[in-house]
Amino acid sequence: MSYYQVPIGPQHPAIKEAFQFNFILDGEVIVDVKPRLGFVHRGIEKGMELRTWVQGIFLAERICGICNVPHTTCYCLAVEKLYDVDVPERAKYLRIIINELNRIHSHLLWIGVLGMELGFHTLFMYVWRDREKVMDLVEMISGNRVTPSMNCIGGVVYDITPEMIPIIKRNLDNLEERTKYYKSVLEEDPSIRARTVDVGVLSTDKALDLCAVGPTARASNVKSDVRFDDPYTLYDEIDFNLITYDTCDVWGRAMVRVDETLESISVVRQALDKMRPGPINVKVKRIPPVGEATARVEAPRGELLHYVKSDGKETPYRAKMRTPTLANIPSLCEMLKGYHIADIPAIVASIDPCYCCTERVMFIDPDKGKKWIWSYDELRNYSRKYYGVGV
Amino acid sequence: MDNVFTLIRIFIFPGLLFLSILAFLFEWIDRKAYARFQNRIGPLYAGPSGILQPIADFIKLMGKEDITPRYVDTLIFNNAPIFAVAIPFFASLYLPMDGSPILPSFEGDVVLLLTLMTLYTIIVFIAGWASTNRFSTVGAARAILQFLAYEIPMFISIASVAVYVGSTSLTYISMNQPVPMILLQPIGFIVFIISMQAELERIPFDIPEAESEIVAGWLTEYCGPKLAFLRFAEDLRLVFCSGLATAIFLAGGSGPILPPVVWFVLKMIFVVLLSSYIRSLFARFRIDQMVSGCWRYLIPLSILQLILTRFVGVGLRWL
Amino acid sequence: MAMIREVFKHLFKRPVTVKYPFEKTPTADRYRGKHEFYVDRCVGCGLCARECPALAIELVPSDKNVNGRIPVFYLDRCIFCGQCERICPRAAIRLTKFYELASPDRKTLVYSAG
Repeated sequence: MSYYQVPIGPQHPAIKEAFQFNFILDGEVIVDVKPRLGFVHRGIEKGMELRTWVQGIFLAERICGICNVPHTTCYCLAVEKLYDVDVPERAKYLRIIINELNRIHSHLLWIGVLGMELGFHTLFMYVWRDREKVMDLVEMISGNRVTPSMNCIGGVVYDITPEMIPIIKRNLDNLEERTKYYKSVLEEDPSIRARTVDVGVLSTDKALDLCAVGPTARASNVKSDVRFDDPYTLYDEIDFNLITYDTCDVWGRAMVRVDETLESISVVRQALDKMRPGPINVKVKRIPPVGEATARVEAPRGELLHYVKSDGKETPYRAKMRTPTLANIPSLCEMLKGYHIADIPAIVASIDPCYCCTERVMFIDPDKGKKWIWSYDELRNYSRKYYGVGV
Repeated sequence: MDNVFTLIRIFIFPGLLFLSILAFLFEWIDRKAYARFQNRIGPLYAGPSGILQPIADFIKLMGKEDITPRYVDTLIFNNAPIFAVAIPFFASLYLPMDGSPILPSFEGDVVLLLTLMTLYTIIVFIAGWASTNRFSTVGAARAILQFLAYEIPMFISIASVAVYVGSTSLTYISMNQPVPMILLQPIGFIVFIISMQAELERIPFDIPEAESEIVAGWLTEYCGPKLAFLRFAEDLRLVFCSGLATAIFLAGGSGPILPPVVWFVLKMIFVVLLSSYIRSLFARFRIDQMVSGCWRYLIPLSILQLILTRFVGVGLRWL
Repeated sequence: MAMIREVFKHLFKRPVTVKYPFEKTPTADRYRGKHEFYVDRCVGCGLCARECPALAIELVPSDKNVNGRIPVFYLDRCIFCGQCERICPRAAIRLTKFYELASPDRKTLVYSAG
């Protein structure tokens, strides 16, 4: 049996960002995958240490082009925990609205990308045409189609005037109709079903074992969603469903995302109705008190975590981000084994990879000229020693 | 005088020059229709409504640097584009575009044409194999696998028509259809159109050059003038296959008032539009799904059509 | 197959493509584009230069105000976040709707008024 190695990446028409997967193939069947990340490492965590707390919002926004709103929301929530300040109610609803609009836009983008990976360019063109409506709404509210920069420490910066509300609702009705149509296409089209059903199966046990997050886990019947487990802003006052599917394949992940888009449209409508007039931000001091804080939000791709530590200076002492795509990479390697080359784009696209968010830690000792990467056990032992818990 | 006339027919009209113009025209129609189905504009600025865009692309590619990678098999790699263009040109000379084909037709020239299409697939395979690139190897292997799937239904659907008409000469088939075969043998037409889509390597069967999986498949290492010729060869194959479909199923060339050439080209355009429509409707199939689908559905359908040929037109004969 | 009717109908619809630059889509009122700087309102406090996340504002000496300096905007560094507009105590900076700022020469992307 002779295996040969095919690298996908760092340059490849199928992938949007630079990453590398080395596939070990037996004919057309994948035997093993070796991921190699870090091509898009930009030193953002170091950059956070050089910028003030407010400037950090804009740096956090530019971690990812698609899921920028959850990054700013998470960062602001973490820093607000340091200040121990509570934002006004209207600001919380506005944060919900802009987060859910971003989720709709991200999921619609993903459906188009799935179409393109499968060679279904028509679906891609139609979905991206309808996605323009969401970007027009975001532009109307905040002034920029892609990076709204709406969050600030202590609330939000732009308000939704009463004239905007009918426009938003009309566009949402239109979007709901189109999303239902795309849902029916995904359910019925035989060529999409042939490429996605029973492809890239990740069983529930494996999903829990490898810590999958987001729609990747929810399509394997794992009920985990930060909006339900750990509600931030005012998600506990809004009535919506946690979407899970139990098919555990690429089709299940597609359906989870489509259903989540429909739920997000309903959430935005409810938030618009429940908003009451009031202030939209509170003023905070320039430098937060000493301490450390963590915040989690549900980005479109899964659970996003920001950690900030302040030592009373103008700039953070440490800021750390753990993005959902990094958590999904082990699951991705597991999902790919045993399938064909032709399934690679569909499976890799199904975790909705956003590699500009992922990073990897590598230790370099310049004196000894060595470099090594820590394994999972070494990391656990180190953290146990650090926190004084028994080894 | 006769020789000069034949030479004009071979090289200018309806020969090589006319075929080249048709190839560029059909690529434009295909791209415009595909774009309109997707709510886009398509080519717009090169010439009125973008009609010169395929020619502009050809000229641009001819002007690029011609790179031959170090480890390829240069004999095959450099000469494959020439064969790729020559085969559809030669095959198209047998199409009865203005009533009679350019090269004299004979009994069994349908078999010759199908053999030429087979030869093209061999060229695809050795061109991909000679490129010694992982992606090209996978693409070449897929091209051969795909060829195993679509060749037989195509042959059998053409054979059904030949059995009905009673001849294997393309000119005879296209001239002797009082009722076009599409109405008498619709199943055969559907099987032929699907096989044609697979042969031309268009979505849903563009597996040998699947862009999102293996970069460009067997075309990966080609660039510059060689790529220009290969893409031109794809357009020529579109002309040839739609011409074959017109001649066999649509009673090519016959129709009131207008000269036969005009009817032939109009019917070819109809086939091209149909192919573009199918192209915009589906995602790409996987190679094993395609092969098993062809063997499970297309071949029984085509055999069914062959059996039904006995009963085709029975009602008409009674009228 | 599921899109058969929808795709066919699109053959007769107008394409949604906007033929930029011959046609343009309208921008929203709040669109954050190129700056407009009102020299007579500036007091030279320097808050805009301090707060800019992209270090795109530089203070140059000037005799237009009491502190002796006014900002100059480097549009090739600017991320159009709007912080300078928000933080200015005299509303001397405003972000307009103009976005066609592409240029082959970086020196043309420096905006200074006054």
